[in-house]
Amino acid sequence: MNRIIVGLMLVVCVVVGAGLIGILDSRATDVFLEATRPDFQKIPIGVFGFQNGGGPEWLGGRIEEVLKADLQRSLVFSLVDLPGIGVKVREVSTADKAVFKQAAENGVSVLVWGKSGPRNGSGDSELSMDGFVYDSGSDEVVGGKRYVGSTSVVRLMAHRFADELVFRYTGEAGIARTKIVYVAEHGNARELFVMDYDGYEPKQITADGFLNLMPRWSPDRRFIVFTAYRSRNTQDIDILELATGKRWTLVSMAGLNITPALSPDGNFLAFASSQDGNSEIYKLDTRTKASHRLTVNQGGDLSPTWSPTGREMAFTSDRGGAPQVFVMGADGSNVRRLTYEGDYNAAPAWSPRGNWIAYVCRTAQRLYKLCIVSPDGQKRLQVTTGSGIDDSPSWSPDGRHLTFSSTVDGKSHIYMVDTDGKNLERITFGGTHNSSPSWSPAL
Amino acid sequence: MTIRVATMGLTVVVGMLLVIQGGCSKKSIQSGGDAQSSERGMAKSGGPAPSAMGSMGSTGSTGGGGYDAPSATFPDLSLSSKPQDEPESGSLRGFDSVSGGKAPSEERLGGGGTMLAKVEPSESTARQIEDIRREQAKEQAASAEAGLRDVFFGYDSWTITEEGRQSLMQDAQWIKGNSGALVKIEGHCDERGTLAYNLVLGEKRAKAVRNYLVELGVGANRLAVVSYGKERPFCNERSESCYQQNRRGHVVVRSK
Repeated sequence: MNRIIVGLMLVVCVVVGAGLIGILDSRATDVFLEATRPDFQKIPIGVFGFQNGGGPEWLGGRIEEVLKADLQRSLVFSLVDLPGIGVKVREVSTADKAVFKQAAENGVSVLVWGKSGPRNGSGDSELSMDGFVYDSGSDEVVGGKRYVGSTSVVRLMAHRFADELVFRYTGEAGIARTKIVYVAEHGNARELFVMDYDGYEPKQITADGFLNLMPRWSPDRRFIVFTAYRSRNTQDIDILELATGKRWTLVSMAGLNITPALSPDGNFLAFASSQDGNSEIYKLDTRTKASHRLTVNQGGDLSPTWSPTGREMAFTSDRGGAPQVFVMGADGSNVRRLTYEGDYNAAPAWSPRGNWIAYVCRTAQRLYKLCIVSPDGQKRLQVTTGSGIDDSPSWSPDGRHLTFSSTVDGKSHIYMVDTDGKNLERITFGGTHNSSPSWSPAL
Repeated sequence: MTIRVATMGLTVVVGMLLVIQGGCSKKSIQSGGDAQSSERGMAKSGGPAPSAMGSMGSTGSTGGGGYDAPSATFPDLSLSSKPQDEPESGSLRGFDSVSGGKAPSEERLGGGGTMLAKVEPSESTARQIEDIRREQAKEQAASAEAGLRDVFFGYDSWTITEEGRQSLMQDAQWIKGNSGALVKIEGHCDERGTLAYNLVLGEKRAKAVRNYLVELGVGANRLAVVSYGKERPFCNERSESCYQQNRRGHVVVRSK
C-alpha cells in the first residue's frame, strides 16, 4: 500500500516537474510572450539626462527627449520620474554611488545618463554622445556607448542607444531605428516618402508627378514595392532600391495591379490584378519571373499579406457580396473565411509575431476602425475608436504597435497605436494628405 | 574547329563579364547599407544623385492584355543576396565595459539606418508633371465640348441608376457619332472604406459604365477603364453631398 502511495507521489512529482521545466523553457526562449502578457512588469528605468559639454544649446535636451520617447514606446521599460521620487537628476554626470542607491531603493532597476558636445572640444563641428548604464541588479555601471557624427545624426544616436537598451534587457531588436514608408500629397500628385518611425526626417523617394500608392518594404529593408500609375491610364507594380533610387517594373498586367507584398524570404511577390476580368491574387516568383494565379472566383480578391512563416496568406475578398478577410495557403489552397462580424472587413496585415491579423473593420455605426483577430478566428478585438476613417494598418516589427492612417484630425495623417488601443500617437503633422504607411522590418 | 574555339572564347569572356558584374553590384549593395564610416558618408553626398525617373527600365507598357514581362532583369530580392562578409553596419554592438573609468570605444554614425538616394525632381520629372497637367486639361476641355456626362453611384454600390442610364444614353450617342474618338472611364470612390478596396470598387464602377455603353452599341475597343479609388477626389469635404460627387464614373475623351 505504502509503496503504491510513494509511487504515485513520484509520478506526480515527475509530471509537475516536467510541467515546470516546460514553463521555464518557454520563458527562456520567448521573451516577447512575457512582455505582452497583461501581468508583464515593465522595467523601471530612470534617465538622468545628458550634460551638455559645449555643444549646441539644444543638444543634451534633444538626446534625452528622443531617448525617453523611444524607451516609452518600447513598452519594455517604464520611465520613472526621478525628481518625483526625490532624486536630483542634474547632479549626476559620473558614477555616483549614493544617488544610485537612492534610486534603487525607490524601485528603479536601470539608470542611464550621459554627456554630449563637440567631439574634440569647442569648435569641432562633429558631435559626440556618451551614454552610461547602471543596473541595480548588479549594482554597478554595466556599460557605456560613445557615438560620434554630425548634427544630422543626433536623433539617431539616441535611437541607437534606446535599441541597445532594449536588446540588452530583452534580447530583441528594438524599433527605435525603424522607418515608415508612406504616401504624401505633393503638389497635385501622391508620392512616396520614408520617415523615421517617430515621424521625423521625412525624405521623398519618388517624383513621378501622378499617383504612387501602397508601398511595402522588402524583408531586408533595401527595397520598396508599390503601385505606380505609369501613365494616368495604366498601373504597374514597381520596385525601388532605396540606396540607389534604381527602379524596376515587376508586374505590368492589364487592369489593376495593386497591393504588392513580398514574402518573408523575399522570393515571391503576392499582388492583386484584374487582368482576367475581376481582381484576383497572383504570386510572382522573383527568381524565375513565373507568375501563378492563386484565387479563382467571381468576387474581387486583393490585399494579400504573408504569415511570418510564408506558408499562408490573409487577404480581402468580396466573394460573399461585401469585403471580408480570408486566409489561404501560400499556394492558394484551403481558403477559409476569417471575419464574420460586420459587413466590411478589409486591408489585413499579419503580425510579424504571427499571433494577430490586423484589419479595417466597419463598426455597427458604420465607422472604419482597426480590429485585430487571431489567425484561428477565436479572438477578436477592436483597437481604435472615434470618428476618423482609419485605414492601412501595418505592424511594427516587434508586434506591439500598429501604424495606420486616419482622418480623425480632419485631413488624413499617420498615427501609431499599441495593439490594446493605448498610446495613440499622431506622427505626421505637415502636408495636406499622408496615407498608406508601411512599417519597416527591424535592423 | 575555329568556330568552336571562338565560341569557347566568347563563353569565357561572357563568364568573366558576369563575374565582374556580380562584384560590382555587390559593392553597390554594401554601400547601400548604413553609412557608418566617413568615406561612405562622403560617397553618399558627393556621388551623383540618381533621379527617380532616370533609371526606369521599360517604358510605355500599355497593359493591353496578357502578361507582358516588364523589366528585363529583376533585382535579386532573396535574403541571401545580402552581403554576408560584412554584417549590416546598422547592427548593434552592445555596451562597452567602462570599469575603471575606461571610455567606451567610438561608434561613428552616418546616414539614418537605411541609406536613401536623394530624389531631386529633375528636369525630366518636371517635364513629365507638366505633360500630365497639359494632357489632363486637354481631356477636360474635349469632354466638356462633347458634353459627356458622368454617372453617380450609391454608397458601396456599383449599380447604374436610372439617372445614370439617361446620362450614358447621351454619352453613347456622342461616342457613336464621333467614330475617331477614344473614351476613358475613370472609376472614383468617396473617402470611406480602405484605399485598396476602393481601387477595386472604382474599377467595378468604371466597368459597369463601360458594359452599359457596350450594351448601347459602343465598340468595347473604344472604351478604356481605369480606377483611381479614393485617390483623386473631386470634392474634399466630409459631407454626404461631397461623397456623392466622388462616387463617380467619370467619362472623358482620351487625348491619345
